[in-house]
Amino acid sequence: MKNVPILRCNDLAIGYKNQKSTLKEISKDLNLSLNRGELVCLVGPNGAGKSTLIRTLTGIQPSLGGEIWLAGKNINELSSEEKAKRMSVVLTTPVTTGYMTAFDIVALGRFPYTNWAGRLTPADRQVVMTALATVGAANVSHQYIHEMSDGERQKVMIARALAQEPELMVLDEPTAFLDLPHKIETMRILRHIAQKTGKSILLSTHDLNLAIRCADQLWIMNRSGSMITGTPEDLVISGIFGSAFEIDGVYFDPYRGEFSIPVAKRGTFHIIGSDPMYRLWTVYALERIGYVQANGADPDFVIRIHKSQNEAIWQILHQNDHATCCNIQQLVEKISTLQVSGGDLN
Amino acid sequence: MEVSTMDMDGDKNGDSFKRFLVFLPVIIGILAFIFMLDLIIGSVTIPVDAFVKIITGGQVKETWMHIFWDWRMPKAITALLAGGSLALSGLLMQTFFRNPLADPYILGISSGASLGVAFVMLSAGIFSAGTILGSFGFVGDMSISLAAIIGAFMVLLLIIVISAKIQSNITILVLGIMVAYMSSAMVTILLQFSDQSAMHAYSFWTFGSFSGVTWSQLPIMTTLLCMGYILSICLVKPLNALLLGEQYAESMGMNYRRIRHGIIITTAFMAGGVTAFCGPIGFLGIAIPHFCRSIFVTADHRILVPGCILLGGIIALLTDIISHLPGTDIVLPLNAITALFGAPVVIWVILRGTRFGRGVIS
Repeated sequence: MKNVPILRCNDLAIGYKNQKSTLKEISKDLNLSLNRGELVCLVGPNGAGKSTLIRTLTGIQPSLGGEIWLAGKNINELSSEEKAKRMSVVLTTPVTTGYMTAFDIVALGRFPYTNWAGRLTPADRQVVMTALATVGAANVSHQYIHEMSDGERQKVMIARALAQEPELMVLDEPTAFLDLPHKIETMRILRHIAQKTGKSILLSTHDLNLAIRCADQLWIMNRSGSMITGTPEDLVISGIFGSAFEIDGVYFDPYRGEFSIPVAKRGTFHIIGSDPMYRLWTVYALERIGYVQANGADPDFVIRIHKSQNEAIWQILHQNDHATCCNIQQLVEKISTLQVSGGDLN
Repeated sequence: MEVSTMDMDGDKNGDSFKRFLVFLPVIIGILAFIFMLDLIIGSVTIPVDAFVKIITGGQVKETWMHIFWDWRMPKAITALLAGGSLALSGLLMQTFFRNPLADPYILGISSGASLGVAFVMLSAGIFSAGTILGSFGFVGDMSISLAAIIGAFMVLLLIIVISAKIQSNITILVLGIMVAYMSSAMVTILLQFSDQSAMHAYSFWTFGSFSGVTWSQLPIMTTLLCMGYILSICLVKPLNALLLGEQYAESMGMNYRRIRHGIIITTAFMAGGVTAFCGPIGFLGIAIPHFCRSIFVTADHRILVPGCILLGGIIALLTDIISHLPGTDIVLPLNAITALFGAPVVIWVILRGTRFGRGVIS
């Protein structure tokens, strides 16, 4: 049983069916499998069909062909209640219902288990409180959902999905609308859930840097609708990851593991200095204004960082000129005014 | 330590339901008092001791007996049930459409009822065939109710047939509104060709009244409305799930199509039933659900459904008392009273704010 993937699809075709029964196929021949306890990130450029795939896998939208197997059972043969006990969702549509506390929302996750009136047993309450504690929202259980920040609300929605006690949680862009720390916090919670409870998690996201660092598996959906799957690190090294997302001028830097912002190149430099943090951010600042490291070739200028106990100075050595700056702002201003000879490599 | 805070939280989270259970006897007490008030005051005041005698089977003046049993008792029962039904069907529609402005009539069901009534009342003057239904003035009460029920039922059928083919409930909302416009257009055309007295009778019907229900009609109305009550109580769990929207509700194992039909039919029973026997009574249906949410500070339908039944009854009885202007023979249009006296109360409750904030949140 352990070896059966929690979610598998065979030759799945997704898309929309018009009223005049014309098919708009977004993707087909999808053969995917999601193992137990894994966290999978579904990534892809806008319009590739991530949402359509998520909606199809969760049964919100019918498939155009192929099969979906959830925990070893064909999804069409599961009753909606059986499905609910195996899979829960977090949707993108924000829930802002009035007069509902976080506890009330999470308690709705017990829907498949409660009686006709939705009465919570002490065991149900315990599940709800544990779910809230797992996402770190136990302290806001009495707050009203419409008074919460986006980050807190997202935690509550994840807790609701958790309280449904599924084997698989599917989240449609759970990190959208959140600021960066909350994006990271959300991913941390999801990793924690996958590791601690052994639940499988499938989520779609636009935050590629986060996806690379968090996912056990990446599902990359191309603009053409084809799908590439694999471990994120393998996909980065092989260059597949980068090529799936590059658009004119924007490319993925496999050495840094992030997308670079393209800037017109103005010259080269060489940097001397022992403190790695100061070095790194000085390089970033210079790259931002168009200078790249010379990598052994003759640089247009040299930067030397002198780092003492609690202050640092930057020296610019350019031809016969010397200049000294006491922070990066000054450094950037100085270099911008330099007449770099032969620097106009453009 | 973690466990102890959990237990504490577990206790606190029963709050709104426990608070409701504490309130419940008080609310029922108020309801009983207002119900009694509606029985004893009016154009003729029945003294309390006479009231007690009537209840206990003693003998009082013949006219009092007549006023009490044949006039005020069916009226009070009607107000009690109609108020609860309007509040409940408003609640159902607001949750179903996730729209604070939804009311019992939004599906066009009562417009269908109005069309049915208009057809019976007004067609008499237009088609000679209409006289089969009895010339105006002799149109039995029952034929008006029957026409309303047929009209409501036709619209209900239409909505159900359409909704079977449609995914989005917003589409149903728009279709309901379109049906309502079409019905009122047809009523307007009927009015254009009717004589003055027929027009007057029709507009009188649109004022709404709890007084037109006789003992012979009461069982039919009670059956319709109580079926609505029972169905609503059965729907509390899916209604709660729908607070998160239909997609979440479905993902939790709710059968959306079945529940959608359940909600539409339940609303039709109550909104159609009230319109058939009391006319198109406005305001209560949209306002009382908000009133209940503010008072009980919850969105939980396990509280709101009984809350709406009781508070709807109380407010309908109050408006009935006021519309009969106690001590006079004047009767004001019920629809005017519901809004005129109800709106300030609701505005006060909403603006007063609670420690949970102000305003309508839905």
